[in-house]
Amino acid sequence: MNQQDSANIDPTATLSGQAVTAAPTEAPDAPLRQDPAHTEHLHAKSITENALEGKTMIKIEDLSFSYDKGKTNTLQNISLDIPEKQVTAFIGPSGCGKSTLIRCLNRMNDLVETSCITSGNIKIMGQDIHAKEVSAIELRKQVGMVFQKYNPFPKSIYDNVAYGLRIQGIKKKSVLDEAVERSLKNAALWDEVKDRLKDSALGLSGGQQQRLCIARTIAVRPKVILMDEPCSALDPIATAKVEELMLELRKDFTIVIVTHSMQQASRISDRTAFFYLGELIEYGSTTHIFTNPTAKQTEDYISGRFG
Amino acid sequence: MGSSNNPFSKQRNSEHIKETLVKLTFIVFTYLIIFAALGIFGKIIYEGAPVLWQKGWSFFTKKPQTLFVNQVEKGEGIEIPAQNFDGLLANNPDADKWLTNVTEFEKTTEFIKFDLLSGSRIGSGYLGELESLNADVYVLYTERDTDAAVGFQLQAEKKISMQQSDYVALTKADHKLLPAETPERTVNLSDFELTIAAGEYPIGKDAHDALVPTELVFQMRQTFADDEPDKINLTLIPHEQTITVSADIYYAAFDEEERGTLPVKSEQEVPVSRTFHDFTLAAGSYITKPEALSILGKYGIQHQHDPLKGSIVLNKNITGLIVPKDFWGILTQANPSLKTANQSTVTADTAYIRFDISKDTEILLDTEDRESIASANEATGKFVTTSEQTHSYSGGGVIGPIIGTGLLVIICMLVALFTGIAASIFLNEYARAGGFVKTIRLAMLNLAGVPSIVFGLFGLGLFVILAPCVTSTPKTSSAMMVPLVKLGSKPELRVCEQQHIYICEKSNLSSSELTTIATANGSKLVYDGWIWLSLQGWGTSILAGGFTLAMMVLPVIITSCEESLSAVPMGFREASLALGASKWQSIRTAVLPYAFPGILTASVLGITRVAGETAPIMFTAAVAEKSELPWEGLNSTGFDKFLDFLQSSAQALPYHIYTVAGRIPQSEYTQPMQYGSVLVFMLIVMSFAAISIWLRARVRNKIKW
Repeated sequence: MNQQDSANIDPTATLSGQAVTAAPTEAPDAPLRQDPAHTEHLHAKSITENALEGKTMIKIEDLSFSYDKGKTNTLQNISLDIPEKQVTAFIGPSGCGKSTLIRCLNRMNDLVETSCITSGNIKIMGQDIHAKEVSAIELRKQVGMVFQKYNPFPKSIYDNVAYGLRIQGIKKKSVLDEAVERSLKNAALWDEVKDRLKDSALGLSGGQQQRLCIARTIAVRPKVILMDEPCSALDPIATAKVEELMLELRKDFTIVIVTHSMQQASRISDRTAFFYLGELIEYGSTTHIFTNPTAKQTEDYISGRFG
Repeated sequence: MGSSNNPFSKQRNSEHIKETLVKLTFIVFTYLIIFAALGIFGKIIYEGAPVLWQKGWSFFTKKPQTLFVNQVEKGEGIEIPAQNFDGLLANNPDADKWLTNVTEFEKTTEFIKFDLLSGSRIGSGYLGELESLNADVYVLYTERDTDAAVGFQLQAEKKISMQQSDYVALTKADHKLLPAETPERTVNLSDFELTIAAGEYPIGKDAHDALVPTELVFQMRQTFADDEPDKINLTLIPHEQTITVSADIYYAAFDEEERGTLPVKSEQEVPVSRTFHDFTLAAGSYITKPEALSILGKYGIQHQHDPLKGSIVLNKNITGLIVPKDFWGILTQANPSLKTANQSTVTADTAYIRFDISKDTEILLDTEDRESIASANEATGKFVTTSEQTHSYSGGGVIGPIIGTGLLVIICMLVALFTGIAASIFLNEYARAGGFVKTIRLAMLNLAGVPSIVFGLFGLGLFVILAPCVTSTPKTSSAMMVPLVKLGSKPELRVCEQQHIYICEKSNLSSSELTTIATANGSKLVYDGWIWLSLQGWGTSILAGGFTLAMMVLPVIITSCEESLSAVPMGFREASLALGASKWQSIRTAVLPYAFPGILTASVLGITRVAGETAPIMFTAAVAEKSELPWEGLNSTGFDKFLDFLQSSAQALPYHIYTVAGRIPQSEYTQPMQYGSVLVFMLIVMSFAAISIWLRARVRNKIKW
């Protein structure tokens, strides 16, 4: 799996990949970082605020990924840096590889036996996550994930939230109680369920179930939360609640979200990456991508001409 | 209304008729099945329910026994223990026609309570009787005494004509026993010198029994079953032999006029003259030497000593023995060197029933009731039977087979579920798709189609004959023996005698030398101080049967477990893994609990299938008749007892039905047992099906996603 040594096998490809990439770290962002005093006036939830500050949490370098032992690459030469405590959105038409990429970040793709990284590497908090000495289990405790279809276990609400802690061997009731309350409060669900913690999680509405899944994820205190189209199965009201929650969570967590809804990306994300056919077309601050895209494909996609 | 303006008017064409025909066929066949099923079940319930009603609870709590059909003369004041009276009523629904004057009364029996002291000498038969009267007593002795005096009792005087050779030996052993003067007479008889050619011959049981004590070397192809007295089996005479036999053996085994005797190539009468001594032994008690008793035993003197092996020497005190007073008399007279202490008389009241039989009639009794009524009226002689007919397995109830089937199912399901769930988890969760897994799946599909008799033979070969055992007394027939550690504890003398263990003093012999020596000494087991890993099989046992059934049901269990595992949404596994669970943690906490209903249903259905199988247990676990439940009659203690229990055979319900329905002659007397057993079996299977439906509904309601 660990293919970091092969990063340099095709230098031209790497170069071209980087050429397309809207230089993730320094150059294009410089003009956006205007006068800090000016940004103070912006709305609190404005996405450009602090957009490019903070240290890098996830560093993807020249990543190529294959689902079939390297015959065809689903992801090609992706390089991008995801900053800490911000919301980064991945957008793009179906099949562009955004979900694949997000599943690479906590090695969920290990479940697919034939999958492998053909070049490049991913560093989270400076550590190559495909290194031999990295345990996927420990990684996933730090990089949690919320799935497209909300999938609470058919257990009580309490048991769902406590699940992650219980499998870590925590049995003390006071610790669990405290963690469940904190997580549910963080997930803005506490007031709705505090009287029925022992009821089945399946009795909740769809939006509540998805927020429960988020609570379940944050209960283990990860550093990063990956969200794979978290609102695609929810109605607009539930979606609004989840989005509100995400904006709260970005204070404490680094959030990566895959979404099909461009409005959602523009509403909640600080940075946006646009993928097309397994390649990263453009990556930059959300305002920049939505107002002044560099690539033609990005412009076409966000203006609804395809995708 | 004309059809012209109805665009949807019915069209009568051949398509329509075809449709109706097809529908009709389906209806007819569906109802045919239902009616056939109703017919079969109806017949079983119609015939079986009255049996259960009449025999009541005792049908479930009694072991299968032989049924005695007695022609009984009318009589008065017949006594029977109250508990057996219920059995009598259950077996004879027409009892009200001949049963009169039924009165209940208490019969007081006297018992002797005593302690048996260490150093006593006791005959093996008497010790056995003592143990059967006192359930928790089992004596492990280490020594026998061939010199201890033995006693016997004659109820009436006994005339004996004794052959010269025996007479000489007897007087030498104990010259005081016989009267001083014994008239001699000489008789001319003829022996037969016979030559038997090599070959295979069909012989009957009588001929076989007569041939056993002779010098003839022969080998039976098949043993004689007790339930088929008239069967003829093949015997092999390996080479031509000439033997001399006395007249009685000649007429039993070689008389060509009768069926099932051995043909002779040539025969010659050899006149012999024998001298006999005639004497009479008066009634009373005698005390003599064991050698003398062993000779007298040949002339019909009843005793329960084992004169050749000697009396058993007790090396421990046994306290609190209780025996009936009459047995106490026999015991003390027959064992003159018995040391007892603390004798006291205790009395116990038993409920008895006294009744009259108003006319000559036919009474059905099972073995237990027959024995107790006979012994209760032995003294008065009021219970007179003019003729008696027996029907094997047709009396009593079905507790033995039910327990046996239950144990087989439990062992089978433990093995099958453990292996099956493990295998299905591996196949569904861990194994990478590929040629290997495909081969396993294909093999499993094929395994599901293997006829059950083949599984029976497989189990016979693997579990009964070849399975590994760790033991200090390996069988001489073991396929392979590997010594492990030299830690064996020497088996007690009694165990050695019972199980034919050869004790080898040298401990440096190889396994083949050991088995050769032991076989030459006629032993089946061998002990030399080592603990062996021996490929000797588990014998015909519930363990072997359970494993065989498990093999048979495994494909079904694995397939359905896999189905229920893959029915658990992938999302649960992902969610669990994403929370930092290891693979096994996620399977244990997020997959198995939700696959549980399916696994449960599969196992209950597996149980119904396993409980009904006959063929796999025929060779591996089931016996047609066994008077003890599997855990009864085991003399070991602790963990050894558990092992012995696992290695004991049992009756099983399907095999019992096969026996009563197929192996014994059908008659009005055997019918109740047949229908009763089938109905009980059907009820069990149906209740399992009902449980499975109920469980599935219940658990499904609880766990939903």
